[in-house]
Amino acid sequence: MKSKISDIVLSIVDGIQRSLKTLRSSTRLTIGSILLAIILILGIFEPLVNSYRLGGRSPVELGLYERALPPSFEHPLGTDMLGRDILALVLVGLRYSLLVGAIAGGIATLIGTVIGLLAGYIGGKIDAVLNSITNGVLILPTLPLLMAIVAYVRMNMVLISITLAIFTWPWSARTIRAQVLSLKERPYIELAKVTNLNDIEIVFKEIFVGLIPYIMVGLSFSVIGCIIAETSLRMIGLGPAEIPTLGFILGWAMTYGALAQGYYTLVLAPAILLILLFISLNLINVGLDEVFNPRLKKITGL
Amino acid sequence: MRRKVILYVTKAVLTYIIVLFTSFTIVFFFLRLIPGDPVTRFVSLMMRRFGYEAAPETYTATVEEFKRVFGLDKDIFTQYLCFLRELLRFNLGPSFLNFPTPSQVLIVRALPWSIGLLGMATVLAWIIGVIAGTLVAWVRGTKLDHVLFTIALCMSQIPYYLMALFLVLGLAYTFAVFPARGAYSPTLSPRLDLQFILSLIRHGTLPALSLILVSAFGWLISTRSVAITIIGEDYLRLARAKGLKRMRILSRYVLRNALLPQVTGLAMSLGFIVNGFYLVEWIFSYPGVGTLLALALGVLDYNTIQGIILLSMFTVLTANLLMDLLYPLVDPRCLHEV
Repeated sequence: MKSKISDIVLSIVDGIQRSLKTLRSSTRLTIGSILLAIILILGIFEPLVNSYRLGGRSPVELGLYERALPPSFEHPLGTDMLGRDILALVLVGLRYSLLVGAIAGGIATLIGTVIGLLAGYIGGKIDAVLNSITNGVLILPTLPLLMAIVAYVRMNMVLISITLAIFTWPWSARTIRAQVLSLKERPYIELAKVTNLNDIEIVFKEIFVGLIPYIMVGLSFSVIGCIIAETSLRMIGLGPAEIPTLGFILGWAMTYGALAQGYYTLVLAPAILLILLFISLNLINVGLDEVFNPRLKKITGL
Repeated sequence: MRRKVILYVTKAVLTYIIVLFTSFTIVFFFLRLIPGDPVTRFVSLMMRRFGYEAAPETYTATVEEFKRVFGLDKDIFTQYLCFLRELLRFNLGPSFLNFPTPSQVLIVRALPWSIGLLGMATVLAWIIGVIAGTLVAWVRGTKLDHVLFTIALCMSQIPYYLMALFLVLGLAYTFAVFPARGAYSPTLSPRLDLQFILSLIRHGTLPALSLILVSAFGWLISTRSVAITIIGEDYLRLARAKGLKRMRILSRYVLRNALLPQVTGLAMSLGFIVNGFYLVEWIFSYPGVGTLLALALGVLDYNTIQGIILLSMFTVLTANLLMDLLYPLVDPRCLHEV
């Protein structure tokens, strides 16, 4: 019993060490992960930080402070034209943006993985149909369609995430399909077929493991895509006010002429946070590629 | 050979027509079946705007009348046939934004602004990116390459509209170098003289720049990877061994070969012009299709919304078709795969 527990502890330590080593093997992956971790921590601990800083009052409550205060120690980003602390608002926005991105990106990756697996593994007519649907959604201009849906239908968090996912799944579907096609031809899959494993077992035991890095890349692409699309919707004032994401703050700031009135931090802070988020996810993507695709390094000399 | 060309062209055109027709049909049913009654909302919006109180009967009668004007009183399949017939006549039906004016007039009025601004910016970004990408590929593996490539990776990830916000903040509000809104100075009227053209350029600089600063880096990345594989080829080693000048190798051998795949990319992104840059126009209140769409969405002007969606599908699919048709000139092998 004792040896078993120590075995588990050892294997966990080993796993952590190995993933740290993977992380360290690419500078871009390291920088991207650290950046992403900081942003995630800011988003996750937003309720704690805000209730500490605002003494338990809601960050969206109007007239909590004096209006238009410049940045100071108490209000690092100043206050807005309705007397709210801008830092608190932006942190709330970050949390909602991350939530929408995670839910929508997760759904998109799930749909994409299932469709990519089906198309790649079964092949034939099913592949032809699924692949042309994937390419169709990829090529069609989806942003105006998305905007029209959100303008007509009243949305909540889940609904808006599903809607975003419907337009972003093809990215991961395409990556997964290509990878399944190449994995399918490997000798060890042939071997698995000979040893009488059925298709479901082959897909889950043999192929899925090889897909994990690609699913991660697909996930981070989908999260970027969903957050970009969500922000675009919110900037022109679409979508529900109950979900105050960073895009909503930007859209609100633009309609109230925040720039013309000199509330620069209200626009700068959400924009910089979003850009850092996109850059960190992209660095992670490129880093994962460097680690899992070492051939690329030789060819392109990165 | 000739038969193959004909077969290839017929196949491409037929696919184009089928896809275009299907996507138009999907968009039509999609927008009609979305819950919500735009006409009722439009009528009550108009009444509120003009402070007009109506008895319930008058109100219902008005709504019915508007439904008739917009052709919504019939069942959905009759509506669909109507839609197709009117589409062939290039008629999208009346708009809400500017009531009796038909939607296509609004769109056609906005279109030249979008094409002028975004087309120019896309081409400029492409030229800068392709040349810079070739140069960076030439110094591959050095510190300079690594730094430039990482900068490009980060810059190409910034959405156009966030770049636009930074530029407005920096160059229009903090330092008033360029105007923040509009396509030309409101004191001028559109005419062909130097003053007006200068005003156009001054107003177009920031929106164009927000697009160029991002997408030039995207082109840099893709051109660099194409050019690096070319630099590894044997004929380049031969060129160097012959003692050709570096500039000549770069321009004649590397750039020219890297250009082919990038040209198809350019065609594709020109097709996406109407699609990708809605928000940049909206931020600058530029009178293009993007701003029109944002305004139309604000009042649920479905004829205009539908028209803009159909227009962007049409441009993207047509760009795709043109690429398919031109591709055999670049790579004749694809004719044999029909």
